Amino acid sequence: MAAQPMKSRWPGLLLLAVILVVLALMPLLVNNYWLRVATGALMWAGLACSWNMLGGYAGYINFGHSAFFGLGAYVTAFLMNDPFGLPFLATIPAGMMVTAVFAVIIGAPTLRLRGAYFAIATWAFAEVLIQFASAMDFTGGIGGIGLPPYLNERFFYYAMFGTAALTYLVAWALFERSRFGLKVKALRDHEPAAEAMGINTALVKLQTFVLSAVTASVFGAIFAYWVTFINPKSVFGGDITDQMVVMVLLGGLGTLWGPAIGGVTLFVVNRLIWMHWGDTAFYIAILGAAIVLVVLFLPNGIAGLFVRRKANALEKVAEKLIGGGGER
Amino acid sequence: MTASAQASAEPILLVRGLYKHFGGIKATNGVDLAVGRQEIAGLIGPNGCGKSTLFSLVSGTVAPDKGEIRFDGRAIAGMSAHRIARLGLARTFQIPALFDNMSVTENLLAAAAEGHWPGAQERAAATLALLELGHVADNRASDLSGGQQKLLEFGRAVMRQASLILLDEVTAGVHPNIRKIILEAIASLRERGVSFLVIEHDMEMVRSVCDRIIVMDSGRVVTSGAFEDIVRNSEVMQTYLGRPQ
Repeated sequence: MAAQPMKSRWPGLLLLAVILVVLALMPLLVNNYWLRVATGALMWAGLACSWNMLGGYAGYINFGHSAFFGLGAYVTAFLMNDPFGLPFLATIPAGMMVTAVFAVIIGAPTLRLRGAYFAIATWAFAEVLIQFASAMDFTGGIGGIGLPPYLNERFFYYAMFGTAALTYLVAWALFERSRFGLKVKALRDHEPAAEAMGINTALVKLQTFVLSAVTASVFGAIFAYWVTFINPKSVFGGDITDQMVVMVLLGGLGTLWGPAIGGVTLFVVNRLIWMHWGDTAFYIAILGAAIVLVVLFLPNGIAGLFVRRKANALEKVAEKLIGGGGER
Repeated sequence: MTASAQASAEPILLVRGLYKHFGGIKATNGVDLAVGRQEIAGLIGPNGCGKSTLFSLVSGTVAPDKGEIRFDGRAIAGMSAHRIARLGLARTFQIPALFDNMSVTENLLAAAAEGHWPGAQERAAATLALLELGHVADNRASDLSGGQQKLLEFGRAVMRQASLILLDEVTAGVHPNIRKIILEAIASLRERGVSFLVIEHDMEMVRSVCDRIIVMDSGRVVTSGAFEDIVRNSEVMQTYLGRPQ
């Protein structure tokens, strides 16, 4: 929380400004294919940031985060179709509210658990939603559900860009520059000590969980409208959470920019592999290799190379995640 | 005011008939004690006699099986730790429980994040100066030496602006210079109205700082009184110091 000297801030601010300008002008600089890649990269950067809120800043490893992405997607699909026929933008707050309610219902009991137990409980929640969405008629069952097509790549690019930018702004303001962030990081590092400092850790964890979930639901809503068709596996699938986890680990757990670095890197690699070899399991091997490399050489991710000071406790969280968890 | 008079006049902490059993282990087995306002009470006893469990019970980290705990006139037995902390009770842990990944300054600010935020930056600077930690203010907590970690944890308790601070072996194993800093800070805080209950094995520290000594053994308070009276007590000599008088 101590103010950084202004002279050390300028290079970072300048780099951020350049990145924002390039991103704002992206539709003028690239063709439609690469614009879709950029849209996807922004979505994954935002999703990884939403996972990092709980997993990185609070130290609670959520293996069911795709559940909230899927909830946002399904609420939008459901409300845009008959008999509701709501406009896209009106479905987003509805998805956020539904997701918040689910997050409170799931988070209140499961956040009493720690380590692997919490991870398993959240993973089970996402699995339940897959089965539910597969079994119900109103969700389209296993066949999925279509949305009214809107073939405007620029709209979806700017929707993802704006949402990702807002996500990082909120993460910066809340976790890096406010006393709420101090409370979250305190409970991550030593929960009984945080309680002894007057911090209501149960409430702070739940608030973080809901924020993380609601953020993912907004990306799910945009994703559903973008791809115009969703099914249980495509939005609730465990591989969605797996990718977020690897992206955050690669970029830097518990850092602001780590999820962006990891998200963009892995998604672009994914697309390059697809361009050269088509649909292949090679990407899974890349993910596996990324995990191994992070464990061996970058326990604090790429961002950790620049922020060495934040190493130790985050390494412990990463060890729990990579090494199979366990009690804290 | 004498030590015993302080303890009897509307104590800031009153414990009566406090029980906590872990399976067959009777960690506290009917503890009765009181800490007076602005008093520095020392809590001594052999390892495993229930001192740290008593701290956990009073601070809300562990719920008691039975018994009464009153802090500043309010019943707090079974209350959650964060609510007790907000009433003005702070504690340290036997093994420093720092926020390892945060800087020294952030550790102090985190201690003030709930309920004491206005002016926290200034108080953190003052606490750094009081504890002579200014030169490591931006260091990560886990990078500090053992003694500095003890200082920082004590500093967090100071940041809570508490009326009662429970100190669990806060000077154990630290350099004499750091010990001196802590003892001076305790004396200074007492002058500002803070009360202390101090677990300590260092009898010289107990003698020099504490107004009154409370002796525990086998989960109960055996006796209490001035240091000179305690060391003349044959029961204490046998149970705590391990030699007959």
